[in-house]
This record gives sequence, structure tokens and C-alpha cells, in this order.
Amino acid sequence: MAVSVEYVTRETATNLWRNRLMTVAAVLTVAVSLSLVGVSLLLRQGVAQATTQWQNGVNVLVFLDAAPSAPTVPTAQQHTIYQQLVQLPYVKSCLYRDQAYDLGEAQRLLDPSAASVLTVASTPASWRCVLSQPSEAQAVARQFNGFPGVAEVQYPQKQIRTMETVVHVLDAVFLVLAVILLLSAAVLILNTIRLAIFARRREVSVMRLVGATNWFIRIPFMFEGIVQGLAGALVAVLVTVALHVVLDHFAGHNASSLLYRMRTPAGDVATTAILVGMIGVVIGAAGSAIGIRRFLES
Amino acid sequence: MIRFENVTKTYKAGTVALQDVSIDIDKGEFVFLVGPSGSGKTTFIRLLLREETPDQGRIWVAGREIAHLSPWRIPYLRRNIGCVFQDFRLLPNRTVFENVAFALEVIGRPRHVIEGQVPQVLDLVGLAGKRDSLPGELSGGEQQRVAVARAFVNRPLLLIADEPTGNLDPATSQGIMRLLDRINRTGTTVVIATHDAGIVDQMRRRVVELHRGELVRDQERGVYGYGT
Repeated sequence: MAVSVEYVTRETATNLWRNRLMTVAAVLTVAVSLSLVGVSLLLRQGVAQATTQWQNGVNVLVFLDAAPSAPTVPTAQQHTIYQQLVQLPYVKSCLYRDQAYDLGEAQRLLDPSAASVLTVASTPASWRCVLSQPSEAQAVARQFNGFPGVAEVQYPQKQIRTMETVVHVLDAVFLVLAVILLLSAAVLILNTIRLAIFARRREVSVMRLVGATNWFIRIPFMFEGIVQGLAGALVAVLVTVALHVVLDHFAGHNASSLLYRMRTPAGDVATTAILVGMIGVVIGAAGSAIGIRRFLES
Repeated sequence: MIRFENVTKTYKAGTVALQDVSIDIDKGEFVFLVGPSGSGKTTFIRLLLREETPDQGRIWVAGREIAHLSPWRIPYLRRNIGCVFQDFRLLPNRTVFENVAFALEVIGRPRHVIEGQVPQVLDLVGLAGKRDSLPGELSGGEQQRVAVARAFVNRPLLLIADEPTGNLDPATSQGIMRLLDRINRTGTTVVIATHDAGIVDQMRRRVVELHRGELVRDQERGVYGYGT
């Protein structure tokens, strides 16, 4: 059985135009909910980006003196530092990251002009320690700054922790809102599809009579739902990308600013856009599939 | 072409629509199905179209047992059966041509086939000059001709008509019957459910009478004869 592209396009377009008000409502609801999803995803990526160094519960970074030979295992002196670190009662464990690893991380976090002057030889290796009491990070810093072989001790500032909390709360709120709105979008699409089928019940009954297959009858209606979902998703992608561009603009080139550290690479934005588009299609298809089911059961 | 074998159909409320009906209709026959309202004529047709399934018994259409046909095959069964109703069932916002073309379009026939077959069948039913009219602009008889054209455009093996003349005056009814007769002479089996005594008596074809769901008469070259 051939379902011609021309037929599907024409029928879908007619349906959308006949129900244009409902269509606009459905598209807008999808757009708003998916914008929330998009922003929430970008926020997550931003936080992940800003806090790369502090992943896996790392509380303290002890940067060691850089060695031109860039050894991949700790030297004897660095091992001594390790033993001193783990002797402290509130240090749970420490992990060695060599110079090559730290260079890679710096290149990801810094802006390209700053990162370009870095070499493996000039980048320090580090011990990354997990504390049983994160509040003691400052004490570790005080004790080990200026220690032989130690270049610098870093620990997350309070602001990063606060930011993380705020962002996590926002993230949760956005996601809950997005899910609720997505459900209402699906119901709206379902409703427009039912209206479309109802408006065309004569056609549908003639189609059944002359032997059109169920898929042939369904496809234009399925497409109608998918087009609505996709249209909403496109608006949401535009909103998300626009927001990303605006934030990027405000972030400027100040490497120490929070916004700058939250910048997400264009690739992540593209992934987000594709994900948002896919959710739109799924919502549209699901809504129309449910809308069609009851009507076309014989 | 059609075989009913001890078919019984009872509706949920307990109404017996067909009671142990067995009948054979051969290819190329022209059959009137007569009886008063509620005698089971419409159920007979709905069973043929597989809009209903029998409670007991078996039904063959074109060599295929259809009581146990899997749902996805039903459309293909219906492509072999043309159908005409009392209320025409035309699409009011499509022209005569489009109404007939619709039946081919929705079973996936390519455009060039549609362009070839639709004018041909419109010519057969005598509406070649009205191809761009809307159904609302046509008389009842003309609308029924469009419906016949739509039912026949796919050259079905079987043409079923449920009270095709129910909404038409006697003269117009005669015209429709002549048209169905002409279609029958192309080899198409024609089954007409009706309680229009005039046309049955005039045509003198095989008459099958149902009464309260039971087959009470099957007569070659019969008349309506109900109640006499």
C-alpha cells in the first residue's frame, strides 16, 4: 500500500488549518514546556562545567610543583606530601592526577587564549583529596600552602557551593514544571487530533467503507500531532539557543566570573537542541496516537 | 461468490437478527433481499462487509471465509465489495469527480489510474457532464449515481446496495435499477436489499426473503410478494 507524500502533506495541512486555534495552543504549550527543559539542561551542563574540578566529592586540590619531565607517577617528594595528607584525621582519600591530565582540564575550563600558553611541563600535577569534613578544607590549605613541593592549595569557595544548591533547586523546579506542561501539551494535542477526526468523520467512514487500511487513515492524523510537537520544539530550541547566546555575551572574557565558568560548549547546546526536538516529536506522536486509538477501533 | 452456512447473529439486547441462515449466491447473479424493517437485511449486509461477525456459522465471500478474518485483512475484503446506501454518503465539499476519485485515492491507486478510471465510470453512470458539480447541486437520483460510480470505480467483484431507492421517486428508482442491471451484465454480482415492491416486481430476478431473521423464501425470477 502506497501512502503518497502529496496525500499526507495535503491532508495534514488541511487538518492543521481547520483547527488552527487548538493547534496554536498546543504548539505554545509544547514550546513553553520544552523551553524549560532546554534551560534546565543548559543549567545542568553549566554547573557541571563550572564544577568539573570538584566532581566525585573532591574537596581539596593540592597542586604540586611542575616538573619539566612531567612524570606520570608521583615522585618521592610528592609521595611524602601524600603521606602527610592522609595522616590528617579528616582526609579520607587522595588521588594523583598527573600533569597531562591537569593540562587537559585547564584547557577545558580556561578561555582559549589563556589556555594556549599552557604546556604539560608548565602545568602542575595534583593530589585531589576527599575530606570527611569538607569544612576543614581551609585548614588543609593553610597547612600545605608553602609546603616544599606544593605550588598551591585550592578548595571550593563558598559561592560555588551556594550556586550549586541554588541551581539544583531551580533545576528540580524547572523539571517538575516542564513535566506538568509536557503532559498538558500531550493532552492538548490529543484533543486537537480528536477534533480533527471528528470533523472528518464522514471522510473516515467512507475510507473504511472502500477499504482504506487503518494506517492509511491514521497517518495524516499522526503527522498532524508530530508537526505540532515539532513546531513547539523548534520554538523552544530558538529560546534556548537565544538564552545561551545572551548569557555567553554577558559572561565576557573574565575567567574568574561565575557565568564565564558556566559557559557550555556549542556542541552541548546542539545536543540539548536535538534532545528537545526529539521530546517534541515523541509528545506529538504519543498525543495523536492516543487521540486516534479510540476513534479508529472497529 | 457468497455463501452463508447456518449463520446466526444475536445482538446484545437479545434481539435475534439472523437465525440459522444458509444461502449460496453465485458469481454474476442479481439478487433482491427483501423483507420488512427489522427482518435482518441490514445485518446480512453488515456481515458481508465484516462490520459484524456471526455468533454461529460461517460466511464466504469470493472464496474466503470472512467470519474469522484477521482485522488487518478487512480493508482488502472491502476493496472487493462496492457499497451503495439509501443516504448516498457522499462528501459534500468535494466535486463529483473528487468523490469518485477519493475511493481510489485512499486505497493508494496512483494518479494516472485515477485519471483514467474515474471519467470512464462517470460516463457509465451518465454523469460525465457533471464532474465538477458538488453533491448539493445534484438531484437525488444523480447523487445516487455518483454513489454507484464510487462503489464501482474499483471494479469490485460484488456490489451491495442497501435500500438504494429508498429516497427516490419511482421514475428515478427505475433509472438506478437499470444502471445496476447494466453493472451486473459486466459480470459483477449484485445484491440489493430493499422493500421497494415496485422495482422487485418489475425486474423479475432472484428474490430472497427474510422474516424475523429467518430465510422464508428463495425464488428465481420472483416478485416482492410480501404479505400475499
